[in-house]
Amino acid sequence: MRSSVPITRLGKFFGDRDFDLEIGMGQEWLVGDMNYTCVLYKIDRNKIKTDDVYGEVVEDGIKFLPPVEFNAQITIATPENKMIGSTKMDQVEPGNITISVYLKTLEDLGIDVDFGDYVGYYDSENFVRYYTVVNDGRVISDTKHTYKGYKPFYRTIIAAPVGPNEFRGL
Amino acid sequence: MAIPKKGPVKPNLPLNYSKTLLPRREQIKDMITKDGTYLPKSLLHADLDRGFLDFVKEKFNISSEGKTIPVVDILITTQNWSQFVETWDFQNIDKNIEPPFITIIRSPEVKYGNNPAVTYNIPNNRMYYYMEVPTWNGNVMGADIYKIPQPIPVDIKYSVAIICNRMREVNKLNQRVMETFASRQAYQTINGHYIPIINDGFTDESVMDLEKRKYYVQKYDFTMMGFLIDEDQFEVTPAISRTFQVFEVDQRPIKRKQKKRQPVELETILFEYENDVLTQDYFFEYTCNLYFDESVNIDAYSVFINDQYYGDNVNEIQINTNDLVVIEIVKGDLLESPSLKFSQKLI
Repeated sequence: MRSSVPITRLGKFFGDRDFDLEIGMGQEWLVGDMNYTCVLYKIDRNKIKTDDVYGEVVEDGIKFLPPVEFNAQITIATPENKMIGSTKMDQVEPGNITISVYLKTLEDLGIDVDFGDYVGYYDSENFVRYYTVVNDGRVISDTKHTYKGYKPFYRTIIAAPVGPNEFRGL
Repeated sequence: MAIPKKGPVKPNLPLNYSKTLLPRREQIKDMITKDGTYLPKSLLHADLDRGFLDFVKEKFNISSEGKTIPVVDILITTQNWSQFVETWDFQNIDKNIEPPFITIIRSPEVKYGNNPAVTYNIPNNRMYYYMEVPTWNGNVMGADIYKIPQPIPVDIKYSVAIICNRMREVNKLNQRVMETFASRQAYQTINGHYIPIINDGFTDESVMDLEKRKYYVQKYDFTMMGFLIDEDQFEVTPAISRTFQVFEVDQRPIKRKQKKRQPVELETILFEYENDVLTQDYFFEYTCNLYFDESVNIDAYSVFINDQYYGDNVNEIQINTNDLVVIEIVKGDLLESPSLKFSQKLI
């Protein structure tokens, strides 16, 4: 069992119970008021079908664990109108999705987000766009991700859009 | 040793030798004019572009995961993109083209070519004799002379780009390009003309940003060493089928000096009286007049025609055909042989 050292920073006016309260109120706002949700398709690394030389996933070779819906704050970047390399083929590339999720949410659901996992976000009732995690935000030692410097409380996950050639969900 | 997968090693055995040198050139010339007129077919920028598109679709036809990797069926230019996105058939819900696919980009500039077959020659774009074609208009057999200008060499640069997600797709195109251009060049027949294509190398523009959608972009650069030949510049002119010659002469009367008549030397006939003979005869088979010229050692002579007395010492004797002339002389005092000489004129 890992050693547990109590955090005594800001001890005069802020403590563990205050932290839990604040997180609880934040989750209430995020889930109860906002209710932004997305679906995590956790890659099943044992069943995935990959190329035996390059390790790249073959078409429809992605296998994932049962999808899990979770709440998070979602920010989707503006699409970019740009050329593919210098091919003169310009297209509107969808922007990345930035997912800010409470650590407690992940802990409660018993999930983790890793590089390469897929996330689905419903743009509308009948259209879901899939993203692949390009930054799992695992490193949260920066002040920004702490609650007023007390301790980290959320992760910022960045995912890039993928096409149906790579991932089509269920 | 690997076993060939596709049938026998050599499915067809050629029964005849392939043509070489002049027969091969004639074969190519026939190919140029096949299914058309006697003239070669036109070859312009659009034809060359279409030919390169067909070349890519035919030679770089590769598949991935059991599906053929599509080739964008137009040359990507700056202007046509927005129209084309409405019509392509391999796009996703964002109307973005979905990898993997192959696309062809043409450099807008077209430079004077380096095709060694058609380099600088006679200036002013003169027309050259190409062929003589017989004609028949119902009455006259003639011929038409076909003339064409010298083709203008051009170099057109293309880039063939593959956009895909998997290394195996990159490898397949690379393998196909390397096989096709193992000797650095390949050929495409466009409108019956053999056009060489040279591989200039390739570049990699794959997107490697960590927080971006990742895909491979590899571009292969090619130069098509084509030439331009415009059928609107061909000339067909009738050859000469019948010649009509006209001479113009000066019709004014020209005064010329009258020619002087040259005196006609008359034939002479000589009567010789040797060995004291005083009579000589001569049978005439023609009609003529005898004119006395001279006499030697003769004092007088008498003429008898057909035993009829004609006269003595006559200067002119008229003789008809089949007359027998006898001339009797009176010899002079001299010792030399007497003779009579007459000139005769045919009548």
